[in-house]
Order: sequence, then structure tokens, then C-alpha cells
Amino acid sequence: MPNQSGNMYGLTILSPIIDDQTIRISHDSALRIYLKKLPRHEDGPFAKVSATHLCRLVVMDDVVFVGAPAKQEHLNSKYLVFSSNFYGDLDAYLADMAAKIPDVVNDIWSHCVGYPGVRDPKAFATYMKKCQIETTFFFAAVNDRTVEQTLRALQNKVEFAAFVEENQGKPAAELQAAFSTFWQRLEQLPPPRAGARELTRASVSEKASW
Amino acid sequence: MVKLNPFDIQGFVARGYNLPKANFLLAEILDADAGRHLVQRVAGQVTTAERWEQGKKPLSTLNIAFTWQGFVKLGLPDATLISFPVEFCQGMRLRNRILGDVGKNDPKYWDPVWQDDKVHVWLAINAINPDELAKRTAEVCRLMEETGGARLLATQSASSVYIDGKPTPKEHFGFTDGFGNPDFEGVERDTIPGQGKLTPDGKWAPLATGEFILGYPDESQELPACPVPYLLGINGTYMAYRKIHQNVATFRKYLEEKGKEYAGGKEKLAAKLAGRWRDGTPVELSPDQPDPALVKDQQRNTNFTYGNDAGGVRCPVGGHIRRMNPRDAFGFNGALVNRRRIMRRGLPYGEYTPEDQPARDEDDHGIVFMALGASLFRQFEFVQQQWVEYGNDAHLGNDKDPLVGRHDEGSNKHIVQGTADPANAPFICRNLPQFVEMRGGGYFFLPSLTALRLIGDGSVDPR
Repeated sequence: MPNQSGNMYGLTILSPIIDDQTIRISHDSALRIYLKKLPRHEDGPFAKVSATHLCRLVVMDDVVFVGAPAKQEHLNSKYLVFSSNFYGDLDAYLADMAAKIPDVVNDIWSHCVGYPGVRDPKAFATYMKKCQIETTFFFAAVNDRTVEQTLRALQNKVEFAAFVEENQGKPAAELQAAFSTFWQRLEQLPPPRAGARELTRASVSEKASW
Repeated sequence: MVKLNPFDIQGFVARGYNLPKANFLLAEILDADAGRHLVQRVAGQVTTAERWEQGKKPLSTLNIAFTWQGFVKLGLPDATLISFPVEFCQGMRLRNRILGDVGKNDPKYWDPVWQDDKVHVWLAINAINPDELAKRTAEVCRLMEETGGARLLATQSASSVYIDGKPTPKEHFGFTDGFGNPDFEGVERDTIPGQGKLTPDGKWAPLATGEFILGYPDESQELPACPVPYLLGINGTYMAYRKIHQNVATFRKYLEEKGKEYAGGKEKLAAKLAGRWRDGTPVELSPDQPDPALVKDQQRNTNFTYGNDAGGVRCPVGGHIRRMNPRDAFGFNGALVNRRRIMRRGLPYGEYTPEDQPARDEDDHGIVFMALGASLFRQFEFVQQQWVEYGNDAHLGNDKDPLVGRHDEGSNKHIVQGTADPANAPFICRNLPQFVEMRGGGYFFLPSLTALRLIGDGSVDPR
């Protein structure tokens, strides 16, 4: 499947941006201004769409041929490019976008031609799929795991490294007792927040490497 | 096969001189005309890559390099100046965030000479003994005065560590240093196994010349980016110069304390930090004890790979020499490292404190480290940013190089991988202090002899 690699889905959506030359701030400009102001990291809207490993929103004006002889080729429209690497199935992902961040989705895609809104999730999904192009080869810089599993694994690594640092060399019984306490504490920890830039611990902080 | 003209390449580029004494003169060019006159005069005395016949090794050598600001001061045409790579134009100080020169390594703590853009020219004198060094240094200083071309800002002296009156390859932490440099095509010497690139059949071959000298194809079969005119760049190369202070007392104290906790003891722990035992034995080849015969054997002392030690149970994955040159550790027969190699030159500075005497961090001692290559960005800066100051390529998260990394809370551990053997138990070096601190540095270009004459004549013509 050219859009999937294991459980990872590489979604590419190109939505044509409305061309209205009668308004002072064009739709593509308004979209750029809006996207620039979106919060990032753990406060970013896609942190709420929990299957998202990484996504990007880009306004593409045109593609320019550089070379000789010069060619005047243009796209038929300006496009909003939405690319997302997420875990799982496309229908579930689009439904989750419509459910979790309807206002943001509306704010963004209302600048695009033919956007039906998210009130009817089916119409929204049909629209998005109509704008979808095949991603073909893609590289997902994550393992074939959910976001939560990935964050948990990073958290476990940080916590376990700290545990070893603090307890190496202890007598076996003492070590076992310490590990048992550590394990209970680890199991009770909430998973780190999606999009967080740092995984922190009381004595150790480690920057996440994405 | 690339044929190099040894008379056109500065000797410092082609080889380490293996001379125990050095002065690095850092000078400011005051006037373009007088500066060019100085370059002209120096060009006539520069030590080239010419081969020395048996017994004809010079008593001292002279080499010259310029910062981008130096080229500005010498009046190089604007069209030439803007053709240099951006990192060279900016200089090391402005690249500090990329290099991890922040915190204790922040340029604001560097020696005063590096505080502004006044270091324009680097004149390196290497010599066989203090007398020859003093003599040649005086000659070069006289040349600066006579021509009025440059004003001496600072002299960085450097010297091999002398033990029992003899120069040694030791550095202040007690490691034998300076094993191997990348072999590349066109250098007249025998290929030493372990020093070039790995071939698919597991043998060693010299790297492409263009990785280290401008004007020749590199490992991507391209010519490296060259300033215009081409003649200014060909046979020259770039250099990152770094004065690195060593906290000798801190290092010894850490080894002493952690050596008690680590099953292998203090000396083995030192080996697990560096990737070599302090006598220079590669821990990859001899994981249990130093092996003096191996150290002396040029066919063996750099001849190893990490492919069969993916877990790092001999040389830790994060050990210093494994980070600096991962060889085949990232797979693909080592192809991923061939464009990240650096040629090293360097000498310690300051008084060496013997192991049995109390050392002090604050004494002025460390190493003058120089990395040469065709691209500062692709080679030196990449190695510094990704392999010294970060651990992702080696799957080590944010861990840094245990010896030369900038340690702060959150990335101050080094994992010593181990086995079920109690004498080789795994160990985490925690709370690593910062063993080294930056004291200054810059980016330089070492032109060819032809280019020096062009600069001296004022005939650099980019059209």
C-alpha cells in the first residue's frame, strides 16, 4: 500500500485554496497568517488528535521550473498541503480530527474550495479523500507503534536509566526492593503529553529527540 | 589515481610534522597593502608537502592560514569573499549554538583574543626544540614588523608532554593521543589498515582526496565547493582551530571515585570513556588489559571495526573514539562515515602534572585541537554537533561524548555496556562533570602556495 508502512499511514492532502481577487486579504494570505499563529508542541491542535506522530500544514503557491529553456508552467490553483504521519486507519483518523478539533479544521479548510465543514463527518471524510494524493514512498521517523506507546517507551528509558544510575552496585536484596518500588511507580505514571518537547523526571530531564 | 603537487600544498595539510614544540601566532592585519607584502614574504618560507629525504627533516616549519575577516582585511574582491561557505564567513564564534559552545563553553568566556574579529591570520611554527622554536618565531615576528603587515595579538604555545626529558604522545589526562589520521589518495605513504575507508570486502582503502583538499573529487564523486577564482581554492583546505582547556583534577577525581564503583577498576573505566586504554591500546581489540605490543604495531593499532560489537561490550557505543570515527558501527560497510572524517592536528599546551602529583583544574593546560577538511560544515561541524554533543545516531538519546562533551543536567551520563561476566559488568557513569572547556577558536583557510602568491600579488581575480 503506497500510503502505508506497517501501521503507519503517510497521508498527503492537497486542498485547492479559494481564489477570490475581490477581498483585501486573499485566502492563501489569511491561511498563512492563521497557521503561523497556531500554538505548537503540547498546545498544538494535533496533539489532541492522538494518532498523530507528526504533521505539517503548508501553503503551496506554485511550483517553479528552474532550468533552461525557461518554462512558464503553473499550478491550476494555490494549494493547502496537509501531510500527516499517523498510526492506524484513515477513516478513524479523519473522524477523530472532526471530533477533537472541529473549530481548527473549520478555520483552516474554510479557505479551501468545496469544503463542506465537519458537522457531517462523512461529508468531511469524503472531501478529504477527494483531495488525497498517493504518498508513494515515505519515511516515518518513528517505530511502528502508537504515539502513546512511543512516549511511554521514551519515558521508560529515561526512568530506567535514572534508576540504574542511582542503584547500580547495591546488594541484590536492596536492589530488588528498590526495583519493585520503581516498577510500581512507573506503572502509575501518566504517559507524557503528546507533543511535549521534554520528558522530565524529578532528578533527570531528557529532551525528547524529535 | 590523483597526483598531488607537493610543492603547492602546505605541509601542515598533508601530514602531522611530529615535531614536539609549536607556537601558533594569532595576528591582526592592519593594512591591506602591507598585509599582502607580508603574505608574499611568508609564501617564500612556507613549509610545503615536499617529501623529506632521510635525515633532512627541517628543524622548524612555518605555515599560514586566514580567517574570512583576514581575507576581508587583505582586500580580496567582494565577488571572491561571498563565494566562501557561510560557516567560514561567520567564523566559529557565531556558530556557537551549532557547536554546543554554550554554557561554560560560551564564547563570552573565551580568551580575550577571540572576543572580537581581530584574529585574521594564523602563523604556525613547529620545531624540534625550544631553541629552534624561539629562533623561527623571532624571524616571523621580525617579518611582521618589517612589513608592517600584521600585529601580533597572542602567541599560543604548545608542546608535547615531556616525561623523563623525552617528548611523548600523551595528553593531560594521560591518554596516548594522535593515533591515525584518515588516509587519502595522493599522499605518498603506505596505506595503514584502519585509517581510510572500508571497502565492501572489509579491506581499507584511502579516502577520496577531495574530502581533505579542494580541487579534487570527493567521496560523492563531486568537486568540493570552491571559492572563486578556482585557483584560490585548489590545493587549499579549511581548518577549525580550538583551544580546549582540560580540567585535569576533575578528571582524575572522577576516575578515582567511579573507578571504585566500577567492577573493572579505574584504568578500565578510563579505557571505556576513551575507547583506548591510557597507553593507547584500542579497547575494542584488547578489552581486558592494555597491550604495549599492539600500541606499537602500526598494522594493528588502528585496524579494527565495531560491526561485531554492536552492543558495545568491548568499546562502549558512546566511547570517545567510537563517536569520533564510528567506522562500520552504523552499518553499510562504514559508508555513512566517509564524508564525516576530519584530519586532526594538535598539541597539548601548559604544564603536565605527573599522575603522582596533585593537579589543579585552574592551571592553564589543555590541548590545541585542529581539524582539517574540505567542508567545515559537513565534516567538523557535523561531528561536533551530532557525535560529540548528541547521541541519536548511536541510539544514545541525548548522551554526549563522555570526555569532550559539554555536560549539564539531563545529559551527563555515559553508558558502559557490559556482559554477564562480573569483571565486565555494565556500568552507568553518572553525573559526568565537564572535563574540558572551550577557551577560544576560529575557522581558517590554509591556501596553496599558488594562492598565497596570488593573495600576496593582489591578483586574486574572480572574473
